[in-house]
Amino acid sequence: MSERIEKLQQMATQIRRDIVNAIYYSGDGHPGPCMSIVDIMTPLLFDIMRLDPSQPKWLHRDRFILSKGHAAPALYAGLARRGYFLPSQLKNLRKLGSPLQGHPVPKETPGVEVTAGSLGHGLSQGCGMALAARKRGDDNVIFVVTGDGELNEGIVWEAAMTIAKYKLTNLIAVVDNNGVQSGGKVTEIGGLVKLKEKWEAFGWYAVEIDGHDLGLLTIAFENAARRGRLPLEKRSGMTIIPGMEAPLPEQPIVFIAKTVKGKGVPYMEGNNAWHKRVPTIEEYETAMSVLGGKDLE
Amino acid sequence: MQGLDVLAEKDERIMLVCADSLLAMRATGFVEKFPDRYIEAGIAEQNAAAIAAGLAIDGLIPFFATYAGFITMRACEQLRTFVAYPNLNVKFAGVNGGIAGGEREGVTHQFFEDIGILRTMPNFTILVPADAGQATKACIAAAAIPGPVYIRLGSGRDPVVFDAGKPFVPGKINVISEKGNDIALFGNGVMLPRLFKAAEILETKGFGVTVAEVHTVKPLDVEGITAVLKKCGAAVTAEDHNIIGGLGSAIMETAAGYYPVPVERIGLRDVFPGSGLPDELLDYYQMSVNDIVNAAISAISRKSKL
Repeated sequence: MSERIEKLQQMATQIRRDIVNAIYYSGDGHPGPCMSIVDIMTPLLFDIMRLDPSQPKWLHRDRFILSKGHAAPALYAGLARRGYFLPSQLKNLRKLGSPLQGHPVPKETPGVEVTAGSLGHGLSQGCGMALAARKRGDDNVIFVVTGDGELNEGIVWEAAMTIAKYKLTNLIAVVDNNGVQSGGKVTEIGGLVKLKEKWEAFGWYAVEIDGHDLGLLTIAFENAARRGRLPLEKRSGMTIIPGMEAPLPEQPIVFIAKTVKGKGVPYMEGNNAWHKRVPTIEEYETAMSVLGGKDLE
Repeated sequence: MQGLDVLAEKDERIMLVCADSLLAMRATGFVEKFPDRYIEAGIAEQNAAAIAAGLAIDGLIPFFATYAGFITMRACEQLRTFVAYPNLNVKFAGVNGGIAGGEREGVTHQFFEDIGILRTMPNFTILVPADAGQATKACIAAAAIPGPVYIRLGSGRDPVVFDAGKPFVPGKINVISEKGNDIALFGNGVMLPRLFKAAEILETKGFGVTVAEVHTVKPLDVEGITAVLKKCGAAVTAEDHNIIGGLGSAIMETAAGYYPVPVERIGLRDVFPGSGLPDELLDYYQMSVNDIVNAAISAISRKSKL
C-alpha cells in the first residue's frame, strides 16, 4: 500500500472511531449507514477535493454533498478531522444548543453544504451548485453521495434527468450501494433493481466500484474530478478507471459503490439492526478495540 | 414577470427557474434577453425548488415560477426543509392563486391553501399583489428582502386596481380610504375591487368605512392592523383563499391577541369549488360584494354585544 493510501486508511479508521464515539455519547444515531460511506468520504475530503477549512464559504471550493443525511455523524467526523471544528464537539451530537444537529443543516455547522436528512435531495441541490459554478466559469467540482435506499425517491430521477440534460460533468455522484435500507433489502422494499442500467438509461456513465477499496476509489475520484474541472472540448477519451472504456465527453459520472452497512465493526457488518441503534458499553468497548483506540481528541 | 426583467438588467445574480412553466408565466421575453439565466427543471417542481436552493447557496437569487399549488403543495417540503430552514434567498412566484385565478381549469388548478401552508413556515415572507403593476413591484421588492419570499399571483388577467405610480411598501398595510370608524375592511389580491364597491354601498347606507389593503400577509403589520381595529371596533376580511389559514385567520389572531373586536371573514368557506368564470365563481362561493356588505353589517351589529 502506498503511503498516500496508508494515510487515508488511518484516517478512515479514525473516522470510524469518531462515529462510534459520537453515537455512543449522544445516545442516538445511525451507525450502520455511517460506516458504509467512510471509505467513500475519506479520499474525497482528505485527498481529492479543493477545500479550505479556514474559509468554509470560499466560493471556489469543491462541494461535498451528503444526500443521505442520516449518516451525519460520519460527515461531522470527517469535517472535524479535516479541521472545520474540534473533534471534541462530536460528543455533543444531537444535544440542545450543539451545532451538530441530528441531520445536517449548513447554517449550523461549518463545512456542511446543504440541508439533508429528508432523503433524495442531494442531487437537485448539487445540480443548482453545478449550474451556478458553470455560470461563473468556475472549475470546482461537486461530489454528491447518496444512499441506495433513497433512490426510491422520485426527485432523485428528476435530478438525474436535469443533470444529464445540462451535461453537468462538474457534478460527480456516488451511490453508497450497501443494499439495505431501514426496513430491509433495497430490492424488496423499494424494488431497486438494475441500478447501473437505470443510470445509463438516464444518460449517465455508471461505474460499479468496490466502495471499500481506498486505492481504487482514490484513483477513480481523482480522474473524475480532473475531468470535471476541464472544459468539454478537452476531455474526450479520459478514462476514469484504468482499463475501462472512457465516458462520452458530455456524460455525468455516477459511481455505484458496493459497500457493507456497518463496515469496520464486525458485529455491525451486514446486520441491519444497526441501521439505527446505540451500542451498549460492552459493544462500545468491542468496537473501540477492533478500531484500535478510544480517543475523541 | 416584467419585474424579473427589470431586476435581471441590474443584477447578474437574478435567475429564473421553471417547471415547464415558462409559457404559463409569460416569461419567454426573459429567456430571449437572458438565455443563460433560465433553468428548466421539467415538470418536476420538487427538483426545481431544490435546484433553486442549490443556486441560492452559491449566492444567486433564483425566482422559481409556476402554478401556486405546485410550488406550495407539490414542493411543500422542499420549500420548508431546503429553503426556509436554511433561510436561503429563493423567491417563488405562484400563479393561479385563489379560485378566481384557476377559474375554468377546476380544482386541480385553483389554489386556495397556499398562504395558509406558507404562513406556518418560519422565515417566509408572503406577498399578495392585487394587479399586474403591483406584481411587478412585489417582484422587485422580493429581491431586496433577504430570505425566502412567496409572491402570490392570480391569473394574469386580473383587473387593474392601482395607479402605476403607487408605491408598494412590503410589511405595511396600505390604508386606502378612511371615511369613518364604524367598520374596517381588510383585503388583498383580486378581492380588492369588491372591497371598494362594498365600501361605497356601506357608505351610502350611512356607515363610516376604513379600507386597508394587506398585501404582506407575513410578516403581518400587527401594529398597523391593531391601530385600525382600535379605531373601528369591528372588521371584515376579504381574500380569495380558504377562510382557514389565510388573511382572515391572521387578522383574527391579531384581534384575539391584541384588541378583541368582532371580525367576519369573507373567503372560500372550506369547500372545494368548481370550474367557472372568475367573477361568477367568487359570487357563487359567497365572496360577492353583497356578502361583504352583509358581513360588515353583521360585524357592526355584534360590536355592542362583545
